[in-house]
Amino acid sequence: MQTLSVTHSTFVIEHNYPATPERVFAAFADPAKKRRWYAGGESSEVEEFQMDFRVGGNDYTRRRFREGSPFPGVALTNHTNYQDIVPHRRIVTAYTMSLGEKRISASLATFEFLPAENGTNLVFTEQAAFFEGADGPQIREQGWRKLLEQLAKELSR
Amino acid sequence: MLSQKVNINRVFHALGDPTRRAIVEKLSIRPLTVTRLAQPLDITLAAVVQHLQVLEKSGLVRTEKAGRVRTCRIEPAGLSVAERWLDDRRATWERRFDRLGDLLTEPDEN
Repeated sequence: MQTLSVTHSTFVIEHNYPATPERVFAAFADPAKKRRWYAGGESSEVEEFQMDFRVGGNDYTRRRFREGSPFPGVALTNHTNYQDIVPHRRIVTAYTMSLGEKRISASLATFEFLPAENGTNLVFTEQAAFFEGADGPQIREQGWRKLLEQLAKELSR
Repeated sequence: MLSQKVNINRVFHALGDPTRRAIVEKLSIRPLTVTRLAQPLDITLAAVVQHLQVLEKSGLVRTEKAGRVRTCRIEPAGLSVAERWLDDRRATWERRFDRLGDLLTEPDEN
């Protein structure tokens, strides 16, 4: 049986912020601000965070999973390229994610900053190609564990 | 699409039972024989076999008989890898946008 090696998917997240589009946009354009909300997280430590916020510019983030996380010691890297920037209105990037040495996905990410009565509606659209070949046994195991935990939570409501 | 072969209602029915969840959890680490599965769960072989039948029908588990030994393993097509990646990716961005919200509630220094 043939197995496809790439799966395509799109998802949209909308988030409302009680702040002007200018302020929300600034949190994407200013490296110190962006690092705070973008690169953080409990399961991994940020080892490198580079930004070059202009069309054609590249970002590079490397995080390493901590002990007690799904993949302790493994690096998670992100290469981003800015495709389009319209100040206070829109940012479009193309990015890849790698786990260790393996690339696991390539995506187009679109951020739209829509003025709203009470601030800004951020509309995020990710169009992703996930490389199934990147799925190692650890990831598989972790995926199942997570799934079961979520289900247990759902059922205990 | 592999995942379309799986009936989601069957999957949820199969996982709705704590013993069957325990079986899937054990098999997600490594394949096991029916006997090895039954021991730590402290249930009869017959009960394990019944649970395995439900899990097999749902597409979550596959069993193979070699001689007198039946080995059970997770059927990876049960829920596609890509779906799990996607869930992870979405959750990551949602957490980021929440943190951005926290940052934006701080007074602007400019």
